[in-house]
Amino acid sequence: MLKIEALSKSFDGFMAVSNVNLEVKKGEIVAVIGPNGAGKTTLFNLVSGVLKPDGGRIIFKGENIAGLPPHAICKRGLSRSFQIVNVFERLTVFENVQISLMARENMNWNLITPSSRVLIGETLKILESVGLAEKKDSVCGLLSHGDRKVLEIAVALGVSPEFLILDEPTAGMAPEETGRCIDLIKGLSDNLGLTILFCEHDMALVFAIANRIMVMARGATLVQGSCEEIRCNQTVQDAYLGGSDVC
Amino acid sequence: MDAVWAVFSQKVLSQILIGLSRTTILFIVSSGMSLILGVLRIPNVAHGSLYMIGAFLAYSVSRIFGGGAQGFWMALLLAPLGVALLSLIAERLLFQHLYKREHLMLLLLTFALSLILGDLTKLVWGAEYKSVPVPQVFQGFVTIFSGFTLPLYNLFLLAVGPVAAVLLWLFVNKTKMGKISRAAAVDREMVGAVGINVSLVFAVVFVIGCLLAGLGGVLVAPTVSVTLGMDHTLIMEAFLIVIMGGLGNIWGALIGALIFGLSQSLGIMIWPQFGIIFPYLAVVIVLMIKPTGLLKSTW
Amino acid sequence: MNKGFSLGVWGAGIAALAALFLLPAFLPRFYVYLISLMFVYGLLATSLNVVLGYGGVFQFHHCVFYGLGGYATALFLTKTGAPFFVSFLAGGFAAAVLSFVMGLITVRLSKLYFGMLQISLGSLVWAIVYRWYSFTGGDDGIHGISLPDVISSQKGAYYFTLIVTLVSLFIIYRIIKSPFGSVLQGIRENPARSGMIGINVKKHILTALVIGGFFGGVAGALFVVVDKTVFPDMLFWTLSLEVLIMCLIGGWFNFFGPMLGAAVVIALRTFVSGYTVYWALVYGIVMIFVIFFLPNGVLGYLQQKFKPTKGRAVAKEG
Repeated sequence: MLKIEALSKSFDGFMAVSNVNLEVKKGEIVAVIGPNGAGKTTLFNLVSGVLKPDGGRIIFKGENIAGLPPHAICKRGLSRSFQIVNVFERLTVFENVQISLMARENMNWNLITPSSRVLIGETLKILESVGLAEKKDSVCGLLSHGDRKVLEIAVALGVSPEFLILDEPTAGMAPEETGRCIDLIKGLSDNLGLTILFCEHDMALVFAIANRIMVMARGATLVQGSCEEIRCNQTVQDAYLGGSDVC
Repeated sequence: MDAVWAVFSQKVLSQILIGLSRTTILFIVSSGMSLILGVLRIPNVAHGSLYMIGAFLAYSVSRIFGGGAQGFWMALLLAPLGVALLSLIAERLLFQHLYKREHLMLLLLTFALSLILGDLTKLVWGAEYKSVPVPQVFQGFVTIFSGFTLPLYNLFLLAVGPVAAVLLWLFVNKTKMGKISRAAAVDREMVGAVGINVSLVFAVVFVIGCLLAGLGGVLVAPTVSVTLGMDHTLIMEAFLIVIMGGLGNIWGALIGALIFGLSQSLGIMIWPQFGIIFPYLAVVIVLMIKPTGLLKSTW
Repeated sequence: MNKGFSLGVWGAGIAALAALFLLPAFLPRFYVYLISLMFVYGLLATSLNVVLGYGGVFQFHHCVFYGLGGYATALFLTKTGAPFFVSFLAGGFAAAVLSFVMGLITVRLSKLYFGMLQISLGSLVWAIVYRWYSFTGGDDGIHGISLPDVISSQKGAYYFTLIVTLVSLFIIYRIIKSPFGSVLQGIRENPARSGMIGINVKKHILTALVIGGFFGGVAGALFVVVDKTVFPDMLFWTLSLEVLIMCLIGGWFNFFGPMLGAAVVIALRTFVSGYTVYWALVYGIVMIFVIFFLPNGVLGYLQQKFKPTKGRAVAKEG
């Protein structure tokens, strides 16, 4: 579904992403791991249209989307959540997801119907599926960090994507909340058939749900493979995992 | 043909010189505004009022000292200080409590201040025109070329401009306070983290900026009638110059003032009725090409 | 989620409307004129709030549209033989066109630079109007504009203004409460996120600008009806700041905040001017008071007191 070919991006001479290749098949869950500064977020920014690449191609569903603006990429079925929680702060949980749905339905040009009567069922469905239904009238600022991260994902879901990019979905979460998140992501793949690309520092999460893993360091791909291959890979262990007791 | 060209080029030259002397004042006032904008990150809407108060103070001070040459020099010294004192009071009393709030609040506070100062001026000095006499040493003209004489006072202004620019540059780049202010403009949190009292830095910068506004007012006083409403147009001109030159950039303020002053005087020569439009047009053109201003801003 | 207004609110609203319609019968002409002005500025402030409060756009020179609307209507009335309604609507549409053109130029910029370019464009427009003596009357403005008999009396102007303002407010309210308005607020909160969920932010903002500009122009045209004059100061930057203050005093997170703010400012101005010529001084002091103690405006303060769990009107610090 997604094919990244020789993607590169530099900032003032600093190679943030250099010659990265990655392929994600439909229905897969692929994880990108690596130390901070490896270029994971930059990679995601390139794929989702926030940044324009210097070189390379990003083929999504057969089309090269490199350089397109974010909203155009989103309309093609790719959605993304952010590492630093990026929601509509002063609006309620309900309104956050509702806006996402409105965008999907191209309702943003509807100047007549009251919002309070629109897309209520669908919004509640999404909120229930992520477990935020009771808090639907809370303003974002009052939510716990874990809830905000979940809301982040809910908003990304609102556009009914086929491909979901999650940037460190459990960053800053308490351990109890992490478990919930794991179930949530697994559910998205199993029940909704979403293809998921995510990056994480929590190795337990990665090994629990990823089908394949790509390891990045200093902007380039170190190695790609299945969970087992990565776990036992010497280079990865030295660079990142700090030794493994399984192999 | 030669004669026509000679007359034309003389006209152009004379307009340029007049424009340049206006530039001095515009530069001094705008650099003050740019300084404040760069470090405190707010446009000081009260800048125009402080300029006006500088002019009125010049009037009063020169009257106290007999109205002659001595009066002018004392005004040049004391009026800006008076304005600085006023701004210090405003800053300590009001501004310093808002540094942690949204910038919009600070902007509106400067607007409130401009309203208050405007009426205070009316209260203290009344509503009639005042005039400040040109000091004797500058009375009279110098002949630039046949048929055109430049008032000596304008020559004085032409000289003051570069001097002020150099002094400001020295302050911003060579003094400790200048360097700290530049750092605070870019990253106030870091500066605070290093142990410097950011609030104090802001106070100093604000007062110096306002002092420059007052200085501009004193310098302009002998060339115009000192009236209420001086603040009105100046605040717009100064703000546009600062935007055009690059936020917080002193050299930008100089270039902006040059463009503004010259386009105005040349514009009036080319098209007398709409001459004053040219500077505004220049600003729009510059901003459309380079929205952040001509030179690098400090933000 | 808003399930519609309670009976009490409806009742109060109807009572207020009835009062507004009956006022001219009881009040002297001057007060009728005054309240008409409150509607004009209230509509102007509300139109600004569409862009500023709901859209988060740094609309620093909204009065360009107000002034242009006024001048367009005035010029149509005095220079062309067009029927009144055409001239009146010309104000709104001229302002809409200007806001579209200016919007195209400025919308690609972020926050502050948007505001600055708008100020410079607006100042250019002011300068042109100010100097074009033969066409616009220069710094004298245009006076004694003649209107159809029905609305040329103070009462007639009042009712016309009241009706137009009510209709405009209703339209604006519906727009704010529609999906368009919700998305607009989303853009205000987080433009990057909005883009990420598929919204063409620039197009959306541009549309909001045109709506805000249109109603600003309508307010300008209403001013012509109420005052029968136009003057260049309607386009001046400092008036834009004053309108901003009206939004601030009333409370910009609430739909009726700007109207309240406009009413407060005009009432204050008239009341104080009766006692002293130093109206600006008092105004400045009141502003300082509001900035320090009522940062969410009067309505924001009341809302916090009586509905503290809402949390919506909390001003973002820093």
